[in-house]
Amino acid sequence: MFSNTAMQKRLQKELMQFQQEPPKGMTIDTESVSNTLTTWIVHIEGAEGSLYHGEKFQLQFRFSNRYPFDSPEVMFVGSEIPVHPHIYSNGHICLSILTDDWSPALSVQSVCLSILSMLSSCTEKKHPPDNSFYVRTCNKSPKKTKWWYHDDSV
Amino acid sequence: MHMRPDEGEGSGGPMNADEAEVRQRRPMDEEGASAEPDGATGTSTQQDGHFECNICLDTAKDAVVSRCGHLFCWPCLYQWLETRPNRQTCPVCKAGISKDNVIPLYGRGSSNQQDPREKLPPRPQGERPEPETHGPFHNFGLGDGGFQMSFGIGAFPFGFFASTFNIGNGQFGGHPPRPNVPQNPEEQFLSKVFLWVAVLFMFWLLMA
Repeated sequence: MFSNTAMQKRLQKELMQFQQEPPKGMTIDTESVSNTLTTWIVHIEGAEGSLYHGEKFQLQFRFSNRYPFDSPEVMFVGSEIPVHPHIYSNGHICLSILTDDWSPALSVQSVCLSILSMLSSCTEKKHPPDNSFYVRTCNKSPKKTKWWYHDDSV
Repeated sequence: MHMRPDEGEGSGGPMNADEAEVRQRRPMDEEGASAEPDGATGTSTQQDGHFECNICLDTAKDAVVSRCGHLFCWPCLYQWLETRPNRQTCPVCKAGISKDNVIPLYGRGSSNQQDPREKLPPRPQGERPEPETHGPFHNFGLGDGGFQMSFGIGAFPFGFFASTFNIGNGQFGGHPPRPNVPQNPEEQFLSKVFLWVAVLFMFWLLMA
């Protein structure tokens, strides 16, 4: 069965692959990667031609030892949180592949690309409609939120 | 460096030179996709990527392939199917997938030709018909007139029990129905019991 070490083996492979051919505008903060590989921070730049061009963000990944069968916890951290209709001001991201639609064939890289494309397709910088309520009431971990996905266009 | 026809057998030198040429050319016309089995050289490492499990990203062990064409280690895929027994989808393309419609792959020279799907306990024992597709009334098979009223009343508790039992065995969840499989003796017994309960109830109704 998949054990802790299998999870680390897979993360090791992902890390190597990411570092060998990083997608445009993305770098892994290697200092943030803990020995057990359970936390990563990825620096991500807003794509050229998008509303977020020139902005830099930090995405934090946390992996449980059931990864890749369990989705990673992904959120924006640091002082810069993108203003986006699906991103709460505490960094939580409303994206179905991070919970219900997660698949073990997804990877850190594919999640980063999805998030970047979500940013790039944004047409108006604004907070989610329920931002202040959610930020006041939510759990620390976005994985504890029961997300309600309603916008398939982004 | 041309090979004379009579040299064809047993002359290693010129043969290797030709192979090297072919290998150099290959990446240009087609990204190494024309896989020629060649274990001795660097090409094999390049092609390993095509045979990696989509879940552990390692070379697939006890390989199985889904009908949508995606390769997995059987232990990896098994664990994924167990993670979401109610929604078994291919991790890569989200096509429907189940234990029964993946195909084991046997490479040349692998000593163990056992079906990898046999290896992992707990393996489901036997098979059961899918509860949803048959509906609760399936097991009665009553069609004749006089019975139809009691049928509705009697069927209710049975339907209840049937679904309870199937929830208990989550791992059968996503399997397609197999109409020719005989029913579980327990189910048959229950269906008889409730049939008799229904008959007695009708009898009591008529008498009262």
